[in-house]
Amino acid sequence: MATERPGVGSPREVPILRVENLAISYETRYGEVTAVRDVSFEIGRGETLGIVGESGCGKSTVAFGIVNFLGRNGRIVSGRILFQGQDLVGRSERELRRLRGDRIAMVYQDPMQALNPSLRIGDQMAEVLIVHRRMKKDEAEERCIRMLERVYMPDPANVMRRYPHQLSGGQQQRVVIAMALLNDPALLIMDEPSTALDVTVEAAVLDLINDLQEEFDTAIMYISHNLGVIARVSDKVAVMYAGEVVERAAAEEIFLHPSHPYTLGLMRCVPRLGMEKASSYLHPIRGRVPPPNRLPPGCVFEPRCDFARPECAERRPPLKRLTDGHWVRCFFADEVASKGQEALAARWRKEATVHEPQREPTETILTVQDARVYYSVPARRLFSREKPVVKAVDGVSFHVPKQRTLGIVGESGCGKSTLVRAIIGLEKLSGGGMEFMGFDISVPVSKRDLDLIRNIQMVFQNPDATLNPSFTVGFQIARPLRRFRAVPKDRVKDEVIRLLNLMKLDASYYDRLPRQLSGGEKQRVAIARAIAARPELVLCDEPVSALDVSVQAAVLNLLLEVQRELGTTMLFIAHDLSVVRFFCDDIAVMYLGQIVEIGPAEAIYAPPYHPYTEALLSAVPIPDPTAEQRQIRLSGSVPSALNPPSGCRFHTRCPRREWLPDGGRICEVEPPPWQADTEEHRILCHIPLEQLRRMEAVVSEEVRDAG
Amino acid sequence: METEKKSRLRKFWESISIVLRSPTAAVGLAIVLFWVFVAIFAPLLAPHDPLAQDASAINQGPSPTYPLGTDNLGRDILSRLIYGSRVILILAPVSVLASVIVGTVLGLVGGYFGGIVDEIVMRILDAVMAFPTILLYLIIIAAIGPSPLNVVLAITFVGAPGIARLVRGLTLDIRTRDYIRAAEARGESALYIMFVEILPNARGPLIIDALLRVGYAIFAIGTLGFLGLGLPPPTPDWGGMISEARKYIWTNPLGVLWPALAIASLVVGLNLFADGLREETMRYQ
Amino acid sequence: MLVRDYMTRHPLMADPDMSVVEARRFMGENNLRHLPVVGEGKRLLGLVTRQTLLVDPGRLGSLNVWEIADYLSRLTLKDVMVPADEVITVGPDVPVEEAARTMVEHRVGCLPVVDENIVIGIITEVDLLAHLAEMMAAGVPAVRVTVRMPDVRGELAKLVTAVSAQGWGILALGGAPAPRKPGYWDAVVKIRGIAQKEVVTALSQVEGHEIVDVREA
Repeated sequence: MATERPGVGSPREVPILRVENLAISYETRYGEVTAVRDVSFEIGRGETLGIVGESGCGKSTVAFGIVNFLGRNGRIVSGRILFQGQDLVGRSERELRRLRGDRIAMVYQDPMQALNPSLRIGDQMAEVLIVHRRMKKDEAEERCIRMLERVYMPDPANVMRRYPHQLSGGQQQRVVIAMALLNDPALLIMDEPSTALDVTVEAAVLDLINDLQEEFDTAIMYISHNLGVIARVSDKVAVMYAGEVVERAAAEEIFLHPSHPYTLGLMRCVPRLGMEKASSYLHPIRGRVPPPNRLPPGCVFEPRCDFARPECAERRPPLKRLTDGHWVRCFFADEVASKGQEALAARWRKEATVHEPQREPTETILTVQDARVYYSVPARRLFSREKPVVKAVDGVSFHVPKQRTLGIVGESGCGKSTLVRAIIGLEKLSGGGMEFMGFDISVPVSKRDLDLIRNIQMVFQNPDATLNPSFTVGFQIARPLRRFRAVPKDRVKDEVIRLLNLMKLDASYYDRLPRQLSGGEKQRVAIARAIAARPELVLCDEPVSALDVSVQAAVLNLLLEVQRELGTTMLFIAHDLSVVRFFCDDIAVMYLGQIVEIGPAEAIYAPPYHPYTEALLSAVPIPDPTAEQRQIRLSGSVPSALNPPSGCRFHTRCPRREWLPDGGRICEVEPPPWQADTEEHRILCHIPLEQLRRMEAVVSEEVRDAG
Repeated sequence: METEKKSRLRKFWESISIVLRSPTAAVGLAIVLFWVFVAIFAPLLAPHDPLAQDASAINQGPSPTYPLGTDNLGRDILSRLIYGSRVILILAPVSVLASVIVGTVLGLVGGYFGGIVDEIVMRILDAVMAFPTILLYLIIIAAIGPSPLNVVLAITFVGAPGIARLVRGLTLDIRTRDYIRAAEARGESALYIMFVEILPNARGPLIIDALLRVGYAIFAIGTLGFLGLGLPPPTPDWGGMISEARKYIWTNPLGVLWPALAIASLVVGLNLFADGLREETMRYQ
Repeated sequence: MLVRDYMTRHPLMADPDMSVVEARRFMGENNLRHLPVVGEGKRLLGLVTRQTLLVDPGRLGSLNVWEIADYLSRLTLKDVMVPADEVITVGPDVPVEEAARTMVEHRVGCLPVVDENIVIGIITEVDLLAHLAEMMAAGVPAVRVTVRMPDVRGELAKLVTAVSAQGWGILALGGAPAPRKPGYWDAVVKIRGIAQKEVVTALSQVEGHEIVDVREA
């Protein structure tokens, strides 16, 4: 039979969801504030619409509007929400429940929001069927097991008997997705369902969503801030900014021909997997998303737009049609589209002047030798003598040359944060040694002398917790200056303002309180505080992962500048491999408390790979639907550090074990040896280097060198 | 400097307007302010000397000379109530302040250090809290004798464990924040971290709790007075007044009513204020 | 080629309390001819078509103008629908041709697809026609030839062998009893990338077979 026959086109059918000119407002202390304006889109059967935008752009508000979860103070001001041909706006609660019934399901970022912690998985899943469909218990349970199998849950019958907290985050999210699909909904709304998950788990969940959509013909509205994720799952994309849809098109179209300055900006500010530290500078979007009660009078993006002309500030641009199905809210969309092409292409060109890599060997500033951090956790059983021990960091060795940046990557629970905390002295070392500028730093911070303390500082992950909410910015930056007597007392204020300026913040920030700052600004203040006393080593624990992408770029650029100007050595923890590649000279990949691969950044991102590195790289969502990326998915989740697997710790999930004779028996028994690819690049694996060298690159060369 | 003052003033008005936005808090504040006003201007407001006895008018009902009547010694109830507000409005806040100080220190120490220190502090406080409050008051006052200072001591002793628990809970939460990590990484002392980094961030719930406790303290002072363990006579003490008037409840029932109403209104006012404030600050988050 | 592959999933459905007036508008707006009526859990309660929504004049005869308006506004789908036990349905794992037979047998244009009384889709005559068109590769340029052969085992194999012998691929193949000619069978073959003449030459050599129709389609 010939296979490549086009199917017979079905007649134009009613979309599952059609939103027309939707406007939603919230009642606040400052009066009624419009959070979402003039939003229109439609999702057909079996189609995925990706909604992308930074936080505060109204993505979730639209979703909540559709399911009527706006809360007491929110309401739909105007517009229509047609779900399967029937308008949801202006109906009573009872009518809505009946209309929507079990035909719309929602999946949130935090799976625990949807799971009842006190009920077994099986009971809460079966309840959906028993209540809605009056199915018999055993029959319902059988269906649930089948559904769990369909979301690729290992050992579903066993999972049914467990409580939610006994599952990992990725498994919980699978359960929630399975539960959402039990009723065979026509529309599935997913609000950042994979954001809280590790990259390898995220990749598996995204694959799952694609599979299920084909099978169930469900319309999916997928909300995410991550362009890479959106590129992987969506058929159509709507870009939201400040409560408006500013661009809407088919996924490929929008990624190849972005025509709104904001879309273009979003694409230019994320580092791609191929970007090197030496070659690139990120293009942040200046300013920040305006709060909904203080929108600019003209185009909402005008204050941050590089293409803005005077008329942009006066008049709000209408949504205009560019090509079939491509809509843009910009007066100069054509110009943006053509300039955008150049800009995106230029992204790959080497801007060699920006940063000269320091390849010549310099003196080592930090040496970590066989470091171990063990915790004892409370015994499971009463009266049991031995206390279980978590080996959070187990035998880690590396050294960092002066003025270089070492990136540490790995999934949550791999011990990267613990390692950094041990270096700064907040965690007690259980074994091994650490040396910094010739001093022994294997003692906690309270036993170190002031000068040593001054020379190691840290930038934390969560911008909302990094500054003390009770004190002004000025006070907090001044504190290390005073404490370490970095400058004379009468010059502290000048120095703080100089630091603020260095962080591209003006002197008016001196008297502000943290709650008056945006996330990016808080993080800049935190960096200023960390570098105030001119430390030699700055430890960065995921400094940008909680920030919006446009802000991320600015903060990363700042950190690079600081390093260039002050010659600071940095340790940079992140889970985002594109960011690490962009930011670091050397990279260490950690898995379950051990480093499995370490070497210069370029070497890590090209074969030979450690099998774990290979899987990590193949899981990174790339914001380009045409990019070719090999799919290597890890099975299962990270084993508990309480009871790490014997031999090679990665053997339980390793997809490359079968390369070894006897199915990799040796991996289960013997700890793997270090193999040196080059002098600096080492891999901890049983598989011979020659074989590892034969691996293909995960991301095709073509994409990496495009432009 | 001038502008700073102005912005301070504006901030003050902003916080006032936040309070007034909640009707509960506004009503509560009005009642409390009424009593504060009464206490401050007592000498001007009181028609008689609260200690002066009028042998010709004993246990009388309301009359033009004595608007609320007189007590068993012929003293003017209204004047005694007015002067009594002074006593109570000094004793209650002072004793709460003392218990806040003691409780905060204990809570911070237990919460921040954790481990064995926390265990010891908390077990001792649990032991104190295990006693019925009234019994504790009785034991303490019986042991050290009734006097204004001892009333304050008793209320401090009884109130501190609750505050310590609250502060400990807040500390346990706050000490996990990154800014505490940052301070530790700077090698700050434990004292600095507890009092400069942690305490200011616990102030919101602490203030509200303290306000509620002022209400309880007024209650406690009233109770002690009623049991004869409060302030020694002839101090005009609302609890004492109820206790005295109770004996003559059949001849002059109103004599019990007025001081009871005074206590109730002040306590209710404080509670309303604290509740409203809590609601508003919660919404603020 | 089962119903589940050709049905329309997530069809538009209505609630039994929907008024007839609204249902008429709803069906008109969305160009529907059939509307399953479902209760909680998408349980099938009935089916309405445009005909069922036409109100029986006999029922209105005794009413005056005002009463008619009132009667109509109160009329809901549960009063007029064909109740579930009279609705012809089909399961998702039934072959499409069985669904077609059911529709022909009962003279209905649509079958709700139910799985244990839960509506999971709908299959209409249009879906089946789309299936037929697809099966016969309608719209794909190729040589379409109809061959009449005796209704005997092995005859079709002869045709297929003849085509394969030339090294051609069969794009589509279908067959049915020859109309008005008992004992014979008409097979339709579509062959791509070849001239009509060559096909005729090659197939006319098959013994006992007659080319009744050949065209570039």
